[in-house]
Amino acid sequence: MVEDDATIADFVSKGLAEAGHVVDVATDGERGVELAMKGSYDAAIVDVMLPRLDGLTLIDRIRARGIRTPVLILSARRTVDDRVKGLQAGGDDYLTKPFAFAELLARLQALIRRSTGQTEPTRLSLGDLSLDLLTRQAERAGKPIDLRPREYELLDYLLRNQGRVLTKTMILSHVWGYNFDPGTNVVDVLVSRLREKIDRDFEPKLLQTVRGVGYVLKAG
Amino acid sequence: MEETPQSAADVEPSGRLGLRLASWYAVVFVMTSLAIVLLTYRLLAASLEERDQQLVISTLREYSQRYAEGGLGSLAEAVDIEQRSGRQERLFVRVVRGQSQTLFLSAPNAFSDFDVSRLRGLSGLEQVLSQTGSARLEVASARLADGTLLQVGKSTEIREALLARFRYVLTIVALVIVAVGLAGGAVVTRSTLQPIRRLISAVRGIIRTGRINERVPVRAERDAIDELSALFNEMLDRITTLIRGMEHALDNVAHDLRTPMTRLRGVAERALQSDDVQAQREALVTCLEESERILAMLETLMDISEAETGTMRLEIGDVPVASIVGDVVELYENVAEDKHIAMSTSVEPGLTVPADSRRLRQVLANLVDNALKYTPSGGRVTVSARRENSVVRLDVADTGIGVASHDLPHIWDRLYRGDQSRAERGLGLGLSLVRAIVVAHGGTVEVEAEPGRGSTFIVKLPVRSA
Repeated sequence: MVEDDATIADFVSKGLAEAGHVVDVATDGERGVELAMKGSYDAAIVDVMLPRLDGLTLIDRIRARGIRTPVLILSARRTVDDRVKGLQAGGDDYLTKPFAFAELLARLQALIRRSTGQTEPTRLSLGDLSLDLLTRQAERAGKPIDLRPREYELLDYLLRNQGRVLTKTMILSHVWGYNFDPGTNVVDVLVSRLREKIDRDFEPKLLQTVRGVGYVLKAG
Repeated sequence: MEETPQSAADVEPSGRLGLRLASWYAVVFVMTSLAIVLLTYRLLAASLEERDQQLVISTLREYSQRYAEGGLGSLAEAVDIEQRSGRQERLFVRVVRGQSQTLFLSAPNAFSDFDVSRLRGLSGLEQVLSQTGSARLEVASARLADGTLLQVGKSTEIREALLARFRYVLTIVALVIVAVGLAGGAVVTRSTLQPIRRLISAVRGIIRTGRINERVPVRAERDAIDELSALFNEMLDRITTLIRGMEHALDNVAHDLRTPMTRLRGVAERALQSDDVQAQREALVTCLEESERILAMLETLMDISEAETGTMRLEIGDVPVASIVGDVVELYENVAEDKHIAMSTSVEPGLTVPADSRRLRQVLANLVDNALKYTPSGGRVTVSARRENSVVRLDVADTGIGVASHDLPHIWDRLYRGDQSRAERGLGLGLSLVRAIVVAHGGTVEVEAEPGRGSTFIVKLPVRSA
């Protein structure tokens, strides 16, 4: 991780350590390049505004030296332009500050999965809950569950990220493709409908609310 | 300390420009005038010469006739009468037999300067230079019937004197012209450049003092300089709007964020004073939720400011209205069902509008969200769209609580909540954002509402993108 703000670097590296990752932190761009050259990492988190060498130039340099490590860019700027610039510079994903740690973790793990080239599954499951991606049919304890399209999208998203907390913003942009706050919480409503279908008549409850953060699908 | 080099550098270009203009003007003016003077002189000299030559030739013809009629005596008599009449200056008349035997000679005294023996008696005009070289004798000759040669000539002395006087006058005229040309050049340049200088000093004054409220004076003459001045003013207007917008936005952001920040702080303080772990957990959750709200608010405020100051980037394309309306209605479908509100749409088939689809979706989502929020259970929300002349009209109608007439002018204000709407949770920014985005698209938004009977929000977007 290349980040000059000590507090952010600290909470991210602690959080990642808890999720089972080993994290090295560089506090400026030059040091970041050195780290990237030396070690072999699964992924890099790079802030755009850095002392001595900015994030985009850093990515440029390590890409020029043939380092293909997936990079998640962090930025305090939110315009589409900056996002595009970051991705053009060789970043693989882009996250705007402030962010929920859950989102950072989810995106980072998605990057790692993508770069290690996992094959697309045809069936997702958690405990006795399963989702057939070909027939688009969900089942719990052998009983078929009828899902409406958005409910299906949400369950698919939750199952792919089981055990990870998904924020409302992530769900909104993943399920509807909206990246603004629509005011009334449409996400809450959709989640409670899905919960009604997959959890109400079954034990244990899988779809749990993490108050103040979002939702997580996990067994127990 | 910085004044000196700066002002020197400022004055130089326009001064140099002035000099260049003035000298070009003077050069062109003087050259043209001198050419005219020279041409006049040439024409005058040529016509004087022609007149003299014609006089010589006609006199020669007349005298040869006299000679033919009455011989030498008659010729001498004619010459005598002619010269005594004093009608014109005296001519040179000579009758020569053979090579050099002069039978008759009449010549003014001054003609002794000319060496007439060098005349060869050719037909046509011959010229002999005087010994002093100051004049010439122009002579025409005719061979008479008895073989004698009659010669008539005229001195160019008087003509030269006339031309010399004329040259003198013309030189004075030319000098006057040069003087007038230079002075005129300077005056014309000065008067042309003066408005530019005034413009420069006005603009420089504005830059130095930073008083962007001041404007460059525009004269009523409607020339290029006035146009430039007007454009400067227009640019200043734009800059002022932008700066005002930014100041306004900054004020608003600071003001709007203070309240939620205070709440955040209050929650954290209370949690610190409490020993109850459960209460502390609750407080942390509240803090997180509050920070989410602050973030959402910040984003909305940024959007509003961008749209209002005209810095919002709009990716305008032909947006299929039905699909946008469908998307938004689908987004709120569950919410409406839960509240037992019937949602329906009616969109003219194939209707498109030039707009930024993401922003248009945001507008509709905010309006539908608003409608659902203020419509009680069992009500109805209708989204309709149709073409009306040169606009596409989008209506979001509800059967909700409506808007009290005293609230109507304020519903677009940031964070304004009508008395009736205070019960509902919300940021109070949605409608400001709607209006800002619609206005940025060159459209209008209005509301028709009656308390207790519902409201209709009407968005009109121009078919031609602004």
